[in-house]
Amino acid sequence: MIENTDLRKVLKGYSNKWIALSADSSKVVGVADNPKEALEQAHSNKETTPILTRTPARYGTFIL
Amino acid sequence: MSIRLKFDYRKFPADPSEAFPKRRSATRPVIPVTLINGDRKVTNLAIIDSGADLCIFHSEIGEQIGIDIESGKPLIFNGITKEQLTAYFHDIKIGIGGYEYDCYAGFSKDLSNMPYGLLGQVGFFDLFNIAFDYKRGRIELTSRDNH
Repeated sequence: MIENTDLRKVLKGYSNKWIALSADSSKVVGVADNPKEALEQAHSNKETTPILTRTPARYGTFIL
Repeated sequence: MSIRLKFDYRKFPADPSEAFPKRRSATRPVIPVTLINGDRKVTNLAIIDSGADLCIFHSEIGEQIGIDIESGKPLIFNGITKEQLTAYFHDIKIGIGGYEYDCYAGFSKDLSNMPYGLLGQVGFFDLFNIAFDYKRGRIELTSRDNH
């Protein structure tokens, strides 16, 4: 499986949401306010191994 | 025997700012990590964060693998702001690229502004030798032999 690691287009436009990505990270397969619903959408979309992430309210800069 | 795992840096959207008006993307050492509690598991993105002492993930992810978050041992911790944050620690397994290990990981509601879980010194850096190659966009993890 070739994994998409450029998530700029895939995540652009989503704000303050839980996102389920396909296993290869090529597309969004679930979007919700909590991971449970995002995963349920992913499974409904026949994605058995989704990858969860959050999108921030603003795509700012992180200094950790 | 040590195990070698290779990942690419991931690119994320980034909004331009007054200081960086041309900025449109951010390249970060973010990798997929599977959190495992018994037969329940969830894969989520986590950032390799040498500035974090410990591994901490969103409480919602912990709940998703069946953990009663606030039954864990609490820890008050500090980020770079003045605000104090709370995490609750639980014994879980972490899977990275098919390699699994035990981890005493924290779960926090206070990560809500963070897109990723945090892979810190204890529970990650102590288990892997980590090579960052930002120019080539590569990250290489080599498990330590004694694990």
